[in-house]
Order: sequence, then C-alpha cells, then structure tokens
Amino acid sequence: MDCKAIRELVSDLRGGELSAEAREHLSKCAGCVGFLRDARLVHAGFCALAEEAAPEASFGFASRLIRRLQEWEEKGARREFFETVGRRFVYATFALTLALLLSLVLPTSGPVRGVGGADFLGLQSNSQSSQPDVIGGEIGDSHDWIPGRLPD
Amino acid sequence: MASSESEATHEIECIRRAQQGESGAFGPLVERHQQRIFSIVFHLVRRRDEVEDLAQEIFFKAFRAIRSYNFQSSFATWLSRIAVNHCYDYLRKVRASRISYYSDMTEESARELERKVESPQPQGLDHGEKVALRDFVGRLLARAPADDRVILTLKELEDFSVEEIADLLNLKSSTVKVRLHRARKRMLEDLERWRQEGK
Repeated sequence: MDCKAIRELVSDLRGGELSAEAREHLSKCAGCVGFLRDARLVHAGFCALAEEAAPEASFGFASRLIRRLQEWEEKGARREFFETVGRRFVYATFALTLALLLSLVLPTSGPVRGVGGADFLGLQSNSQSSQPDVIGGEIGDSHDWIPGRLPD
Repeated sequence: MASSESEATHEIECIRRAQQGESGAFGPLVERHQQRIFSIVFHLVRRRDEVEDLAQEIFFKAFRAIRSYNFQSSFATWLSRIAVNHCYDYLRKVRASRISYYSDMTEESARELERKVESPQPQGLDHGEKVALRDFVGRLLARAPADDRVILTLKELEDFSVEEIADLLNLKSSTVKVRLHRARKRMLEDLERWRQEGK
C-alpha cells in the first residue's frame, strides 16, 4: 500500500479501524501517521459539533410567521390589483398618445383624407351626380318651396 | 402507529389547504418541522443569531412554493431541500468568520487533545476540549467551499444517509459518495495547508 492509497482510505475512515496492511504502512510512514491523526481529530470535531444542540424556535415562532404570511398575502393582493390597474392605465395612455400623434402627423388633406381621397379610392366625382336625388328629381330640380306658389 | 397515521393524514390535509392559499393551515406544518429546519440551518450556518431569521425565510419560501409540492417525496424532505438550498445561497454570500478557541490553546493542550482523539471513538473529552474541537472543525468548515460544507454537514452533523442526501440534493447516490469522499479528503488536505500557514 502506498501513501496515496492510505490517504484515500483514511479520508473515509471516520470512526473505523484500519486493516493490518494499512497499519503496516503507517508504522513506517510519519506523513501518513500525521494524516491519520488529523482525520481522527476532524472526526472527533464533527462528533462534538453534532452533539451541540441547535437553538430552539422562540415562543410563538409559528404564529408570528403565519401572521407575517397573512400580511404578506394581503400586501401581495393589493400590489397585484394596483399592478393590473396601473398596467391598463399605461396601455390606455399609450393608445391615446398614439392616436393624438397620428392625428397631428397625418395631413388634413391628401390621399387618405379630404376630397382627393375619393379619386384616390377610385370613386368618380360625378358618380354622386348621376344618382337620382333622394326625392326622385333630376339635378338642378329645385325643391325649394316658395310660399304662395304651388309646385309644378 | 395509528397516531402517526393520523398525523400523516392531518399533514396532508394541511398541505392541501395551504396549497389552496390558506396560510393558517401552514401553521401546524411549521410547528411540526421547525426543529428539523432549525437544526439544518444551525449546523450549516453555525451562527445562532442567524438561525431564526433564516428559518423564517425558509418557511416563507416554502409557503410561496407549496403549490409545486407534488407529494412525490415526503414533506420533510421537500422542506429540507428548500432549507439546504437557502443556506447554500447564504453561505456563498457570507463567509462567516468565527472566534477562535482552538488557536488559543497552548501547544501542550493541543497535543493532549490530539492524543485523546487517537482512538477511533474518543472518550473522556472534557467540556473545554469539546469546545475547542467544535471550534476547530467549525473553522475548517468555514474554510471549505460551500458544496463541501453542505454535503459534509448533512452527513456528519445531520446524520442523513447517502440516499437521503441524494434525494435532498437531486443527485445520484454514487455521486454523493464520490463528493463526500472528495470533500473529506479536501478538508484534510486543507488542514495540512492550514497547519503550514500557521507555522
């Protein structure tokens, strides 16, 4: 057994005993004896640490925790509500601003708006004139009623 | 037997109610598991003054995540996993320095202590020697990387089995064995370095 093998063995030894082969190596190797001594020291230290009791929860720990959880839940619900409302408000403001900007940027006349728009959209300007009057007369017919005069 | 069954049934009922958002139902779960969590936190962090705050944060996290608990592992294991992860994060942030008692020992006392622990199961250690040993290993743990510290604490101080550690850390048992071996070896090698630094 060489030093490397002994160290591998000793690392996992904890409270266990060594084999005769390992003990034989240790009788000739001061370095490995030191390593074993450290391993025993560390193991004893772990045992001493494990014996040390953890602190106990202070009186009312669970009820205090639940109270805080409830407060946190209430706050969380309020926050969620305000976040939702706030998000909607931001979206609405954004949409309004966009509409306002578009109305400012777009020209008041042009292919999209105004009279020319009708041509642009393929509508003939006289198409309206060829349509019969809503009352049924031709263009130029006067439907003005003059008091004292009967219609023709 | 019957009482443990009824306890288990009560626990399941509390978990289901907590999963539906009833924070009051979480209370009995806290009361049942608080000491286990305190022990894990204390052994991992080694700071009495921090234990309660950390435990509170762990239970908070657990309540927020309780809907994700699917009853595949025991609730204690699930909760311990949250505790270990939380402490792991804490350890990575804070590398606590502790008061040294071991280094205050005279060379003669240290040698006497080493002689006493030469037997595999050391006997007859007095209170002062135990304090020194605790401090000594505590300091070694504080020097160790967070991964090593977590796995060594779970095994050596919390006395979890390899399978339980594997379950807690989401690792294979074989990986846990390898990591434990490496962590122990690294700690002993670090102790050699520490001694040399002191010389």
